[in-house]
Amino acid sequence: MGSGKRQASGPTSHSPLVTDLLRRLAPHQVLTSLAERRNYRYDAIQFGETPLAVVLPETTADVVAAVQAARAAGVPVVGRGAASGLSGGAAPTAPGLVISFTRMTGLRIDPARREARAQAGVVTLAVSEAARPHGLIYPPDPASFRTSTIGGNLAENAGGPMCFKYGVTGDYVRALQVVDAAGEVHELTRDAYDLAGLFIGSEGTLGLMTEATLRLVPPPLVTRTLMAHFPEVGECAEAVSQAIAAGAVPSKLEFMDRACTNAVEDYLSLGLPRGAEAVLLVDTDGDDLPTVEEERALVEAACVAAGGTVRRAGTDAEAAALWQARRSVSPALGRIRPQRMNEDIAVPRSALPEVVREIRALGDASPFTVVQFGHIGDGNLHPNILFDPRHDDPHAVHDLAHRIALVALRHGGVLSGEHGIGTMKRDFMRDAVDPVTLGALWSVKRALDPAGLLNPGKVLPEEVKG
Amino acid sequence: MNNEIRGAVPGGQGEVMAHAVDACVHCGFCLPACPTYALLGDEMDSPRGRIVLMKEVLEGALPLADASPHLDRCLGCQGCVTACPSGVPYGELITAFRGWSEPQRARSPLDRAKRSAILKILPAPKVFSVAARVGQYTKPLAPLLPAALRAPLDLLPETVPAMQPSPAVTPARGVQRGRVAFLVGCAQQALTPNFNAATLRVLARNGIEVVVPEGQGCCGAAALHTGARDEALTLVRRNLAAFHPGDYDAILSNAAGCGAGLKEYPMVLRGEHDEARARAFAAKVMDISEYLHRLLQAGELEPPLPASRPITVAYHDACHLAHAQGVRAAPRALLRFIPGVTVQEVPEGDLCCGSAGTYNLEQPELASQLGARKAKNILSTAPDLIASGNIGCHTQIQSHVRRAGSRAPVLHTVEVLDRAYRGEL
Repeated sequence: MGSGKRQASGPTSHSPLVTDLLRRLAPHQVLTSLAERRNYRYDAIQFGETPLAVVLPETTADVVAAVQAARAAGVPVVGRGAASGLSGGAAPTAPGLVISFTRMTGLRIDPARREARAQAGVVTLAVSEAARPHGLIYPPDPASFRTSTIGGNLAENAGGPMCFKYGVTGDYVRALQVVDAAGEVHELTRDAYDLAGLFIGSEGTLGLMTEATLRLVPPPLVTRTLMAHFPEVGECAEAVSQAIAAGAVPSKLEFMDRACTNAVEDYLSLGLPRGAEAVLLVDTDGDDLPTVEEERALVEAACVAAGGTVRRAGTDAEAAALWQARRSVSPALGRIRPQRMNEDIAVPRSALPEVVREIRALGDASPFTVVQFGHIGDGNLHPNILFDPRHDDPHAVHDLAHRIALVALRHGGVLSGEHGIGTMKRDFMRDAVDPVTLGALWSVKRALDPAGLLNPGKVLPEEVKG
Repeated sequence: MNNEIRGAVPGGQGEVMAHAVDACVHCGFCLPACPTYALLGDEMDSPRGRIVLMKEVLEGALPLADASPHLDRCLGCQGCVTACPSGVPYGELITAFRGWSEPQRARSPLDRAKRSAILKILPAPKVFSVAARVGQYTKPLAPLLPAALRAPLDLLPETVPAMQPSPAVTPARGVQRGRVAFLVGCAQQALTPNFNAATLRVLARNGIEVVVPEGQGCCGAAALHTGARDEALTLVRRNLAAFHPGDYDAILSNAAGCGAGLKEYPMVLRGEHDEARARAFAAKVMDISEYLHRLLQAGELEPPLPASRPITVAYHDACHLAHAQGVRAAPRALLRFIPGVTVQEVPEGDLCCGSAGTYNLEQPELASQLGARKAKNILSTAPDLIASGNIGCHTQIQSHVRRAGSRAPVLHTVEVLDRAYRGEL
């Protein structure tokens, strides 16, 4: 996370990479000054190395040109959307070329096919906004949906509150356009070998996704929202398990612990219950009002049985305010401590109460503030360790993060539900994936990126030789 | 974001900047709120990127000259402040940074002369009025002039009305309910004298005595936001001497930019001997719409006469009202209070119109793109009239909606209310 004080200013306009880029691309697409390059080394968590140059492509051909120039110069390539990622995925680990997709914003809706064709830099929310006049929506809705780009969502296989019922980004991809490490363009579908599936969630380590064909669906006719709060975190998880076991399929099931609720309340003053240890937010939706109401009643009963207090959102505005609360958790935590280690574990729902309690206990026994929130419906939790790098020991933070990851793995869970592995959880991959499988992942990586130039230092831990 | 600014810039302004940088977690939630990011789509021209640039300049890792083009393109609209969940006081950061960096800037003599002329003419209503009149006659020559000189002429209204000095005291009509001090503002006295006249009429009609304290002057915001800190401090101290907050229920401004400037006085004087005085002063400052809205809520605002026909008003949120002062509900409530008026929300309402103080003079090209975008968004609501609460927005929007072919009147919120009281709506 070094800010690299008085770092050497890097290449001048005479560097071979820059000369080559300027030959292949228009001057306004190539950023070379220090002030420009310093701004392309971070995501929402991590600071990385200052790139040698930054390219802002407008077409797939521009991306091809940039990749070919980087390949000729032998420097790494890191793709980047809005850099709102939470695992260090877009932060360069070595000086190289950053390709920022924010100007690739072409978007076309095909209502008859219920499809959107989006370039990588299209902001997530824009897809639903463009589709809505045609009576369609794009369901994947990461909390960052006003900022994050489709390319970034694809790279991390982003989820969001809707994913319990409707699925994650990858479930909505019909076709992908990818530029590989050699600068070749591929049009991938989900037929035969699901190569599109391989690229989704690969965090820019296998290729650069430039365009996607996304599936659109009609929005549900009715939605009902409720909020429940609990005197204990485990009770909240129990309520979720019971509600689902009783047959409810809510569209959203979100959980925030006391520290999150209070951080958001400090920011938005929405009247959230500051004293509660856990807050649960639930949407049920569908086209048939009685069924939707019945599902909400099932959830409500489960919450009450687990010891919770239930509040129904009376109006759309009240429901929107509650959801605004949940969407603001992540950045609002910055008010408590400037930096955080953000976990993204997913565990079987049956193990939720135990996992939430164990993590709570680990946090209580540590010198750090540990907060938890997440898409509890599909067992995706985000335990965050908040710290101040001026005073706190980074090794102790990493250590605690590791122990939290091990809790998830011990209960049959995984390291990443939606944020990706990036640099933040790369070391924990050895605990999560057996050596034979890790070897297979490396074989895939080497097959598609023999020179190791695509987003190096991410996802896969270094192989242990011998 | 970790930083070493406190060591590099000791004192109150260093603390202001270090605190703001500390608070940023580079989450990117500010990106969609930033007008220059919307136009340019690059990180250096976004709030998050500018925070990094300022931090690195302050820490000595980046030469000021490298960062300046991107920092100069910031409108200071503070749309990012509204969008930021971490509470980064970006407005304070950029203002303090501009004050710190301006003395170190290498500027061409022409650039220097232009800036100095703007800062001399803007706060002097009589000079401004003469300049505006000269400008009016020069307007036909505009296409022949370089862009820097063309921008101010493009923005001049077709007619420059005669100045109407505000009386030292405007007595309340009927039962007196309150007593306020009023900042008369600078440019608007020359360009739109009816803003102040309507303000005095509406307040008096509602039983409020209005005092225009002698010795007051420019609020200092234009100087402060362009980095002329010494000039700004002189103006700030002059107003602190002229206004005695204890004597009034409130200190009112009807220009969002000026009101926001007055509310910034404690930040400007952070760590200086008159900081406490600035706090007492700022605690009394209100926008005219806030004050009238309080009367409305207390049931003390006289009901206006109904509009002669149903009227759709497109209300434009001035950045310095909505983002810098957080005043959104009050002007809308006042407009809705007029029977027959429907308030229309403007698409992309949070995006700056491009006026932004002296921005449309210093960055005419970006300002013009934003102005055209704002006019298109406003006109998409098919308004009968357009209301806002800031002279800068007024000039910019009027100029761009006329260019787009609309004749819809552009009024100050208080002018709409005044017309309704007079049965002229």
